[in-house]
Amino acid sequence: MQDREMGFAGRIEELNKTVIAGVVGFAVGALIMILYGYDPISAYTALFSGAFGDLYSFSESLANATPLILTALTFAIGFRGGMFNIGAEGQLYLGALAAVTVSLFHLPSGIGIALSIIFAILAGAIWSLPVAILKAARGVHEVISTIMLNWIAQFLAFYLIAKILVDPLRAEKTISVAEWGRLPLLVPGTSLSCGIFVSLFAAIIIYLLLWRTTIGFDIRAMGYNPLAATYAGIEKWKIILFVFITGGFTAGLAGAVHVMGRPPTYAVYGGMPSIKGLGFEGLAVAMIGRNHPIGIIFAAIFFGGLLAGGRMMQLFSQVPLEMVRVVEGTVVLFLAIPELIRFFSFLRKVRIPLTFRIKRSQNKEGRQL
Amino acid sequence: MNPGYLWGIFLGSLHAMVPITLASTGEVVGESAGLFNIGLEGIILLSAMTGALGAEAGGPIAGLIVGMGTGFAIGLVFGAICTYFKGVQLIAGVGINLFAAGLVTFWLIHLGVPGHHAVAEESMLVNISTPVGDFSPMILVAIVLPVLTYVLLFRTKLGLKIRAVGENPQAADVSGINIHLLRLFSTAAGASLAGLAGAYISVGWLGSVTKEISAGRGFIALATVVFSGLNPLLALLGGFIFGFFDNLAVWISTMPAVQQVIPWQFVSMAPYVVTLLVVAGVIGRARFPAAMGIPYERE
Amino acid sequence: MRYKYIGGKSDPVEGNGDIILRGKNICKGFPGVWEHLILDHIDLDIRAGEIHTLLGENGAGKTVIANCLSGFYLLSEGQLYVKGKPVTLKSPRDAIKHGIGMVHQELALVKPFTVAQNIALGLPASDLSFPIPEVEARVRELSQRYKLHIDPLDRVEDLSVGEQQRAEIIKVLYHNPEILILDEPTSLISADAEHLFEVLKSMAATGYGILFITHKIEEALEVGDRVTVLRLGKTMGTRETDKIDKTELVKLMFGEHTPVHLERKPVKSTKIVLEVKNLEALAADDEPALQDVSFSIREGEIMGFAGISGNGQNDLAEVITGLRRAAKGQVIINGKDYTNHSPGEIIRAGVAHIPEKRREMGVIEPMTVAENVVLKDIRISPFSKGFFLNISQITKHAKEIVSRFGALVSDLWKSQTRILSGGNIQRLILGRETWRMPKCLVAVYPTQGLDAKAIDHTWELFMQLREAGSSIFFVSEDLDEIMALSDRIAVMSAGRIVGMFEGSEAKREQIGLTIATGASRA
Repeated sequence: MQDREMGFAGRIEELNKTVIAGVVGFAVGALIMILYGYDPISAYTALFSGAFGDLYSFSESLANATPLILTALTFAIGFRGGMFNIGAEGQLYLGALAAVTVSLFHLPSGIGIALSIIFAILAGAIWSLPVAILKAARGVHEVISTIMLNWIAQFLAFYLIAKILVDPLRAEKTISVAEWGRLPLLVPGTSLSCGIFVSLFAAIIIYLLLWRTTIGFDIRAMGYNPLAATYAGIEKWKIILFVFITGGFTAGLAGAVHVMGRPPTYAVYGGMPSIKGLGFEGLAVAMIGRNHPIGIIFAAIFFGGLLAGGRMMQLFSQVPLEMVRVVEGTVVLFLAIPELIRFFSFLRKVRIPLTFRIKRSQNKEGRQL
Repeated sequence: MNPGYLWGIFLGSLHAMVPITLASTGEVVGESAGLFNIGLEGIILLSAMTGALGAEAGGPIAGLIVGMGTGFAIGLVFGAICTYFKGVQLIAGVGINLFAAGLVTFWLIHLGVPGHHAVAEESMLVNISTPVGDFSPMILVAIVLPVLTYVLLFRTKLGLKIRAVGENPQAADVSGINIHLLRLFSTAAGASLAGLAGAYISVGWLGSVTKEISAGRGFIALATVVFSGLNPLLALLGGFIFGFFDNLAVWISTMPAVQQVIPWQFVSMAPYVVTLLVVAGVIGRARFPAAMGIPYERE
Repeated sequence: MRYKYIGGKSDPVEGNGDIILRGKNICKGFPGVWEHLILDHIDLDIRAGEIHTLLGENGAGKTVIANCLSGFYLLSEGQLYVKGKPVTLKSPRDAIKHGIGMVHQELALVKPFTVAQNIALGLPASDLSFPIPEVEARVRELSQRYKLHIDPLDRVEDLSVGEQQRAEIIKVLYHNPEILILDEPTSLISADAEHLFEVLKSMAATGYGILFITHKIEEALEVGDRVTVLRLGKTMGTRETDKIDKTELVKLMFGEHTPVHLERKPVKSTKIVLEVKNLEALAADDEPALQDVSFSIREGEIMGFAGISGNGQNDLAEVITGLRRAAKGQVIINGKDYTNHSPGEIIRAGVAHIPEKRREMGVIEPMTVAENVVLKDIRISPFSKGFFLNISQITKHAKEIVSRFGALVSDLWKSQTRILSGGNIQRLILGRETWRMPKCLVAVYPTQGLDAKAIDHTWELFMQLREAGSSIFFVSEDLDEIMALSDRIAVMSAGRIVGMFEGSEAKREQIGLTIATGASRA
C-alpha cells in the first residue's frame, strides 16, 4: 500500500509521473518522425524555440493557452468532484456565440465586455444544466449526456453561424465582435490579449474555491469518497449541480475569451475551425496539469507552446504540426495508467498474459508473514 | 416526391449504415465484457487512413484487412491499459482520439495534398450493380455480422463468459475465467470491427481520407450501442436509423426547398437527441452491465 | 488482556469414514493487517460420509479458512491433503478438479442469467458450443435426486434467495465434488433450513464429506456429526456432537472469565433521546435486514447491542443516522421524527456516528488529517466564515483533538490520513465525534483494533459522556465490553431484537446463549 505524504514529496511523485508520460510521448513522436525520414532533433529544437524562443513566440503560446486553461478547469472541477465532465466543447461553442450576440447591440466598452462575458458564462452554464439534472435525478452517466450535448451544440452552432449571426457581408463567418467588445491586445502584433488575465484570474478563483471554501471542501470530499462524504452530511445532488454549473461557467468563458480576443477577425467561422477541439484539448491539459489549477496553468502554457512551436517546426523542419497532437495523445494515454511508475518496473518482468492472473494473485496473497 | 427519390434515400441510408453498424456491433461486444471505449472515433479515423494505404498497395480487400488490423492493434493497447494496468478507460480512450487525429493529419500532409487524400479508383471496393442500384458488398457484411455476433453473445458459451465478465467479474473469476484476458480480446475484437468500419469509409464508400472523415461516427456508434441495449440486432436497426439521418442531412443540404422548412442542422441533431432521450429513460431503459467501466481486482 | 482461553489446539477426535480433505498447520495473513494472523496454525479434517460443522463468531476466520480450502486464497503457510496426497490449490478451478466444491455465503451468480447459463459458465466445454440443453437436463436430474427444486430456465434475479441458494448448490454439485463446503448457508434462508439439513444429511449418507460453516450453535449440534470451534483464527477444539452440549460450546466459542461492570450512578433522566419504533429495512439485495425493531434510549443511558455481527446491528445504526432507507417505522430524536431524513440533518440534530467501516466511511483517506478532523464541522463557525475556511482555527482545533486523543501524526496538513494505522484512525474518529459532547452517539464496534490502553480510554470517555447526559447506542462483538458499559443490553439476531437485559444484573452465560441461539428459525 503506497503511503504518501501530500506536501512536497507527494507533489514530486505526481510530477514524476507527468514527466515520464511526457518523455514517452516525445519518444513516440520522435519514432514516427524517424520512420518518415524527418529529423526529430531539429524538429524538436524548432518546436521549443517556436514556443518559447522569443517574445513573439511566447506571446503566441500564451494566447493559445488562454482558452485551454478555462476548458481544462471545466474538466478539472468535475474530476475533483468525482465526475467526468467532457461537455466543455459544446459549452464553449455556445459561449463564444453568446458573446458574439451581444455585439448585435450598441454598448459602451466596459459594459460591452462585461455583458458579453456574462452572457457567455450563462450560456455555458445553461448548456451544462441538463447534464447535471439528468445525473442527479436519473443517474444518467455524464459521459454519454455530455457527448450528445456536444454534438447537438455543434449543429446548433452551425445553424446560428449560418443563419442567425451571419455576417451580411461575408457569409462564411458570424458578425465580428464589435470594437467596444474586444479584449485589448497585450502585446501588439501578436494574438495575445488581456484574455490571459481573465483565464489566470479564473484559475485562481477555482483554486480558492476548491481549497479555501466549504463548498470546495465538500466537492473534493465527494470526489475522493462519495460514501464517506454522504456519511459526513454532504449532499450529492448539490455537488453535482454546483460542479457542472461552475464547469459551464468556465467553458462558456473560454469561448468568449477566445472570440473576443482573437485578432484579426474576432468572429466565429462556419465549421468553427479555430475553436473546435478546445474542449478535448482542455481535457488533455487538465490531465497533464493533474487537475490542479496551478498545474493546469503550466500545462496549458506547455500545450499552447506546442501549438505555437508546431508552426515553427513545420516551417523549419517540414514536420507537419499535427505531430504535436500525436505527442499529446500518447501522453494522455499513458497518464491514464494510475500506477505509471510501477509500470516501468513491471516491464522488466514481462510475462505472457496467460500467467499474469496467477502471478498477480501470488503477489497479493502469497506473501509470507 | 417520387418513388425514385425515396429509393435513393433508402439506398443512401444503407451505405451510411455500414460503418455505424459495424463499429457499434464491435462495441457491443466490448461493452458486454465491461470496457467502454470512447476511442472508437480515433480508431475509425486511423483505419480509414491505413485502409486506404493498404488498398493502394494491395487492392480493396487488402485495404479492408489492414483497416481491421489497425483496429485490432489499437484495441489491444487500449484493452491492455484498461485491464492489466488498471487504466481509466475514459482517459485512455480520449488519448486514442487525440493520437489518431494527429497521426492522420500528419500522414495526409506527408502524402501530398494536405488535408485530403483520394483513394485511387482501382483500389476501391467495387459495388455490385443491379437494375435497382449499386450496392456495396459491405452492406451484406454489415447485416450478417450483427446476426453472427448475436449468436455468439447469446447462444454460445463464449458469449456467456463475455457477458458474465461484464456483469459480475467476481462470479466469473470463481468459475475460473481469466477476466483480464477475456476483456482484452473482446475489446480488441470489437475494435477490429471499428477498424473495418473506418476502412469501409475510405475504400468502399466515400473514397477519400480527410481529417474529418470519421465525422463523429465513432460517437454515433457509442450512441447506437446505448440505443441497442447491448443487443447486436438492435445495433443493426440503430445503425440504419442513424445512417438514415446521417444521409438525410446531406441530402437536405442540397435541396434549398426543403431547407426552408427544416434546416439540415436540425436533422443532423436528431440522432443525438434521440440517444439523449433513450439514456434519460424516456424511451426504453438502457441497462449497462453492472461492472462496466470498473477495472477488476481480485480481493 | 481480559480473556483466558480454554481449549487449545485441535484435539483430534476420530469420526468414521476416511479423511478426504485435511489441512495441517494452515496459516493465513493479509497484507495490511500486520497485527495478527487471520488463521493461526489450523488443523482440520473432513471425512467421507460426515457433516463437520465449523462453529465460530464473526471475525473468527471461518470464511477465510473456507476460501483457503476451496482455492480462492493461497495459504501463507501449511499444507492441504486431498485423500492423503498433498496438494496446492492455486485457483478455484484447481479445487474443483480435486473434487472440492464450495457454496459461498455471498452467492456467486450472475443475476441476469438463468440458472442453466450460470452453470454453463463454469463448464470446461468448448467456447463455441451451446451446452445449454445438456445443462438443463442435468440440472433437472440433480434437482430431482437431491430434492433441491429449481427450474434451470429461471433467471437468477427472479428467484427468491432460498431458490438462488439451491441454484448455487446445484451449480457446485454439477461438477461431482466429493467434498462440499457451505459457508453460512442458513444466513440467507431461515425458513428453508430444515429442508437443507435433510438434503445435506442424505448427501452425507451417500458418501459426501461436508464442511458446514455457521455461527449458530443449535444448527451445529443438529446437523453436524463433529463440530470444530474456531475463535480468532485458532481452533479451540473438535468434538463429536452427541458428546457435547450447548453450554460447553458457548464456553469454547466465547471463552470464560469474570466480566467487569463499571461503577456508575443509575440513570436519572426519564427523557427519551432516541426512540425507534417498529423499524423495518431492507438490505442491498432486497432481503429484510431489520424486522420490527423497537427500543428507546434515555438521556445519560448507554445501550449496548450484542450479537454476531451481520445480524442487523450495523443496518440499524445506518438507518438511525440516515445512511439507509427505512421501509417502515420511525426514528425519533428528541421528540422529532427524523425517519429517512438526510445524514446532514441528522448530524445537525446532534447525532454523532462512529461507523463500522472506519477507513471506507469514517474518514476520507486521501485527505489530510486536519481536513478529516473537521469533516463534519466545517460549515460551522469558527471553522468557516460564510464560504471561506478559517485555516488557522481548523489547525488549532485539529492539533488539540489529535493530541487529546493520541492520534499521532507528524504534520496535520501534509499527511494523508491513509498513512495512519487503523487504531489511530479510530482515535481520530472518536475525537471528532465526541469533542462536542453530542446528545446522541451511535458507535459501531468503537474499540475494534485498539490496544488495551486505548480501549480503557474509550470506556472512560463513554462514561464521561454518559455523565454529561449523552445517549449512547453502541454495537460490539466483545461481550465483556457490552457488559462493562451498558445500562441495558439488547441482543440482535436476524434483524430482530431477541433479548433485552439490564446491564447490572445480566449473566454472561445467559447473554452468550441468547446470542448463539437467537431466534435462528423465526
